[in-house]
Amino acid sequence: MMNTQLNEVTVSPTLVKKPVKKRHWNLSPYLYIGPHLILFLIFFLAPTIYGIYISFTNWDLVNKADFVGLANYKEILFNHESTFYDQLHTGLFNTFKFVLFTVPACVVVPLLLAAGLHAKPVGKNIFQALFYAPTLISVSAVMIIWSMLFNVTYGPITSYFHTETNWVGVQPYAWITLVIVTVWWCIGGNMVIYQAALNGISKDLYEAASIDGAGSIQKFFKITLPSMKNQLLYRIVITTVAQFNVYGQPLMLTKGGPTSTTTVLLMYIRGNAFGTGQSIAGIASAMAVILGLCIMVVAAIQFFFLRERN
Amino acid sequence: MLKKKSGSKIVAFLFLLLMAIIWIFPLLYTVFSSFKPEEDIQTKGFTFLPIHWVMVNYQEVLFHNTSAPLAKWFMNSVIIAVSQTLLVLVIVSLAAFGYTRLKFKGKNALFLFLMATMMFPSVVNLIPLYKIIDSLGWVNSYLAAIVPGAVGVFNIFLVRQFMTGIPKEFDESAKVDGASDFQIFIKIILPLIKPVLTVVALFTFTGAWNDFLWPSIVFNDVDKMPITPGLQLLQGMYAMDVGHALAAALIALLPTFLLYLFTQKYFVESLSLSSGVKG
Repeated sequence: MMNTQLNEVTVSPTLVKKPVKKRHWNLSPYLYIGPHLILFLIFFLAPTIYGIYISFTNWDLVNKADFVGLANYKEILFNHESTFYDQLHTGLFNTFKFVLFTVPACVVVPLLLAAGLHAKPVGKNIFQALFYAPTLISVSAVMIIWSMLFNVTYGPITSYFHTETNWVGVQPYAWITLVIVTVWWCIGGNMVIYQAALNGISKDLYEAASIDGAGSIQKFFKITLPSMKNQLLYRIVITTVAQFNVYGQPLMLTKGGPTSTTTVLLMYIRGNAFGTGQSIAGIASAMAVILGLCIMVVAAIQFFFLRERN
Repeated sequence: MLKKKSGSKIVAFLFLLLMAIIWIFPLLYTVFSSFKPEEDIQTKGFTFLPIHWVMVNYQEVLFHNTSAPLAKWFMNSVIIAVSQTLLVLVIVSLAAFGYTRLKFKGKNALFLFLMATMMFPSVVNLIPLYKIIDSLGWVNSYLAAIVPGAVGVFNIFLVRQFMTGIPKEFDESAKVDGASDFQIFIKIILPLIKPVLTVVALFTFTGAWNDFLWPSIVFNDVDKMPITPGLQLLQGMYAMDVGHALAAALIALLPTFLLYLFTQKYFVESLSLSSGVKG
């Protein structure tokens, strides 16, 4: 306190125009981190903990919740006669399928594009902007565009390929459609990060390899991939987590069909908690907790497995 | 050597060109079809370019549909995305300053805890969050879309990384001159972290503009809705009106596209910034 008083007298006029106000503005550290911390507690931490709690209750979003122990989990995991059992199993199965179908492409396609751009061909910047652009579009706008592209009656795909295929209404086309749309939509982020990683690899490594007579494919597997190991691992985990939260694509493109073959778990969770009719928030929360656990377990497995091998 | 280099350049160019045709087609299709009269689309068969160029889809979709008020939705989205961006900039730069420059008990433990919570899957908090918003009376209010999206920890991490790179001597010499923490924050640190704040602003705006699931839960009043969940309603109405639906989609994607065009440099920089995060 004494010190600040003393300093006030010798304060530099260029830094502080109104030294009188100084002490008033000397906030305690908690006033800096406080605004974020308070909002974080109210809008993230508290609802997360409460979300786990209500998965053990029969809450309906309106009335008081009664603690029911593991009843929700028993119902959705083991009660074969329950519709919620079907929902969880169908939804989780389709979510896993979606992850399995899209993640490899969403990791590898941008890698190829980044490698292509790294060769610095003519029009590099235009290419880069173009491949990144879909990432900037919202899921609902993307789904409107693609549902029109695949439209059986007026769509260009029907017209160009002379097929009568009902892309979004028949399997396996519904899955193929979802994968194509998702890859088109979300490779931009991974691509730009790979580009940065490629730029960070020392040219000396490649030159040394050339002298030793390595071909470009050998160089790719022996130098390029190992050098960007960290970024690749990070992007695989991030991409997987992102795809587990799939919701908008099947909702707007295939409407979860044909016959629930593309209905993902988040659609059931949303429907049970906020759909028309009585809310079954307790059951929906139990489903959300299971989905959350799946995401964390899969991310952890990926992390350790990919780490271990190197 | 030179020959080999230009050879790989040609291969790369041809590959990228092929991919570019696939990537640009949906975008060009959207632009051109939004200017086609509905009549042509339904009777003339598919043509890449419009036979007649018309603006009618835009006029109708923007102003003449009271059950899908696109112009209103657009304004709602502007208000929400701009407000969230400003809110994030303020709380994130303050917090990052606290975690890098100030001393307080349990600072590192607290920050580590915040980082660990990033691994919590957000799907779990969806239902209670709705209840909180409801009890605050925020259902159908802009605040419901602005505030919960602003609490992410990743932005603090990014800004904190950047701030750590600023030499401590800068603030120490100001401290010797008698500047308070807040003055150091405002006059020294804030101007220096502009690049990373631009990045945070761009991502926050784009994220808020494109958010879909959460606003579709907290808005059921058609007039109050932002444009991204709004488009889902609109899709139901224009299921068979190709031109109208595509005009609406194009209007919805325009702001983030324009933002990207003008700030492309920062976008690319930013992604390499976040790629510094090792797994």
